[in-house]
Order: sequence, then C-alpha cells, then structure tokens
Amino acid sequence: MSLTHLNARGEAHMVDVADKPESRREASASGRITMRPETLALLAEGGLPKGDVLATARIAAIQAAKRTHELIPLCHALALTKVAIDFTLDEANSCVEVTATCRLNGRTGVEMEALTAVSVACLTLYDMCKAVDKEMVIDAIRLEAKTGGKSGDYRRDEGVGGGIGVAAGVTVVTGTDGPIVTGQGHVGQVAVGSRCDIASPCIRVKCLAELRERLGVGEISVPLSDLTRHDVGGLKAALKALDPRFAGLDEGRVLCAVNQVMAGDRTPITDDDEVAFFPPVTGG
Amino acid sequence: MMNQPRRHDPIAHDAMSHDAMIRVQEAPFDAGAEQRALLAGRTDIGAVVCFTGLVRDFNESPEITALTLEHYPGMTESALADIVTEASGRWALDGVRVIHRIGRLAPGDPIVLVAVASAHRRAAFEACDFIMDYLKTRAPFWKKEHASQGDYWVSERHSDHEDANRWKG
Repeated sequence: MSLTHLNARGEAHMVDVADKPESRREASASGRITMRPETLALLAEGGLPKGDVLATARIAAIQAAKRTHELIPLCHALALTKVAIDFTLDEANSCVEVTATCRLNGRTGVEMEALTAVSVACLTLYDMCKAVDKEMVIDAIRLEAKTGGKSGDYRRDEGVGGGIGVAAGVTVVTGTDGPIVTGQGHVGQVAVGSRCDIASPCIRVKCLAELRERLGVGEISVPLSDLTRHDVGGLKAALKALDPRFAGLDEGRVLCAVNQVMAGDRTPITDDDEVAFFPPVTGG
Repeated sequence: MMNQPRRHDPIAHDAMSHDAMIRVQEAPFDAGAEQRALLAGRTDIGAVVCFTGLVRDFNESPEITALTLEHYPGMTESALADIVTEASGRWALDGVRVIHRIGRLAPGDPIVLVAVASAHRRAAFEACDFIMDYLKTRAPFWKKEHASQGDYWVSERHSDHEDANRWKG
C-alpha cells in the first residue's frame, strides 16, 4: 500500500482523478464533545448566551464540508450532493455526539468532507458553550463508514456507543425534558445503531413538537426494506412494528409531511425521503 | 428585487412579481424599520398594512411567563412562501414581508409581522388578513406555553380554521 498524496519522489501532490470513473460516494464520520452536565442541560434548553447552539453547529458543519478543499491541502473541490449532520445528546456520558454524512456522484471519496464537518461542528459547539464551560473535550473524531470508489467499502467494526436498543439496529438516546428552540430535535433524539446502513435505502423520520415529547422519539432512520408498502401508511405500520411507542401516531390529529410537503397515508415514499410527523400547527 | 419602483397592472398581476421577503428568526424585529424598508424608493404604493402579533400573558392558562416556539426548518420557509404566493395571486400586491420569531419569548414580545403593500387599501387589508389566517393554520410552528402551573403545548383552535375557511370558495 502506498500513500496516494505522495508522488514517486515522495513529494506531496494532488491525485489526478480525471480518468477515474464517477460513482456514488458516501461517507459518514462521527465525533463527540464532552462537557459538564450543567452545560449539556443549558444546551438542551437553549439557555446558552450565544443562542441556538445545535442549529448554528449544523450550519457550520455543512459550510465546512463544502469548504474542505480550502483547509486540507490536497483535497479536491467537490460538488457535494448531500451533507447531513445529526446531534445526539448523551446525558449518561455528558456529551454531544456528532455524526456527518456526505454524498456525491464523483471521482473522489468524501470522507475528508465528513470528518471536516464533524470537526467543525465540535469546534462550533465548543465556541458556543465556552462562556460557561472551558473544560470541554473534543475527541473520537473518526470515519464510521464509506462506500463507493476503487478502494471499496469500509465500515468501522466496533459498535457505536450510547443508547438503549429498542429493535434490531436501532438505538434510542433519551434526551432531556427542556423546551426545544428550533425544532431540529434535540430532545428524545433517536439515532440508529451504526446509523441506517448508508449503502442501503433509508427513510429519515422526524417527530416534532408535542408529538416528539409524547412519543419520546425525535429522529429515527428506517430501512426502506422494513416497509411492506412504500407509502406513509406503510411507514407508520413499520414504525409501530419497530417500537410500540409509535402507536401514538394514531392518537389525536397527527399531520405528516414528506420532504417538507404535506402528505397523507397514500403518499409514496422512496429512498432517502424525509418524513415528518407533527401535531396541528399553532403559530402566529 | 428590492427598492425598484415597479408598476402593476391591477388585473393581470403575476404571483410574486413583487418584493417578497420571508424570515424566520430568533431576534426581535422592528416593525417600523421593516415597513420603511418595504416602502423605500417606492411612490406607486398607496397603502401598507402592517400587522404585529404579540405574546399575550393569558391564553390556555391565566399567567403565562414565557412561550417557546418550535418550527420545522425548511418547510416553514416554503410554507410561508406558498402562502405569500397565493396571496399575490389573489390581490395586486406591491410588496410583502413576513417575519416569524422562534425560540423563547416573553409576554409582550412581538412574535409575528405581516406587512403588505399595495396600490389600494382593500387589497392590503385583505391580503394581510389572509396571510395571517393561512399562517396560523398552515405554517409549521408550534407554541409551548410556560406558566406557573407548568409547561404545555398549545392546542389548535377551531376558530383559526373557521377564519382560514373564509377565504375558500
């Protein structure tokens, strides 16, 4: 095995990828920032002086992924097609776990983008919380999985820590009872074991507002193969089979949006759709 | 888009061919500044209606100490844009601003702003009313009230749906 960023003379060079075939590339990375329990509680409640910490860190991570080539000398500039950042508040270990998934159809892998996104998310979390906690530690930044390309697929072997298993491949991390600020689900978040297998089709499900608190579930990924019918009704049935708490989807008026457009039980669902369930709206 | 005087044919107006701005933010807003920005450089506007919704200290319980607003980022903005587009199809509008706050708010805080400019008052009044009615029943925001007895999520109101239904048919 040789280092591809070194040429025959041992000098750094950028790999010429013009002749490599395009393929669908995806990589996910994770990391964590450990803080004092009081800091984590403040973060969950939106009580930190700089405002909505997770929303800011998410945007920072997405921006960082897009700018990886400006930071890491020999990285190519890539037109990413997807950057998804997930946060899991782990009260037991008093930390925030960050996961980033990047995807594109192209000639180079996207693991550096995923790792950069996680790093910058952690740094942003540090910056947003440092006024109240200077002893936070960022660690365990690592590649979880990558797919596509010549070097083949990779998946870290060890299990991903944290949480209580509710069904095969699904891990639930119970959050705090504090109020949510901007709805990107930091209470009762659900993360998937090693995330949904990124090589297989997956649906991202969100429960918002009162429904999230009633069910105790914020986000969950469901393999498309769990659905007997590829529509919202089929997804509800799969969720109920996965975890009895989802019986609550039938209690009271629960609305649904597929890819952020209002939907009904017969609305079709495909790979990588985002499906949100929520109570009737009460803004204004 | 902004600050360009543009005349509208009152019959064949295009949806969203005017200055439309939608913001979802934690920060407070200044209704006066927003209205001035909406009108800046324009002399063809004959009417502007500017509605500000405030956090009340009584609602489902008598002593509300705070309110937390959650939303569904992404869908919120597109839902508001759809509402403004629909209003623009119904009335000849010269400009619309919708600002909705999120996060924790205290009684008396401004929560929502809808400013509508038009050549004539009726269109401005009606479109503003319409946008608020649709916002309350279609935009994915949820209120949680914090009161001395505890926190609870606000229930939907039948009257809000009746208000929104006025614009049908």
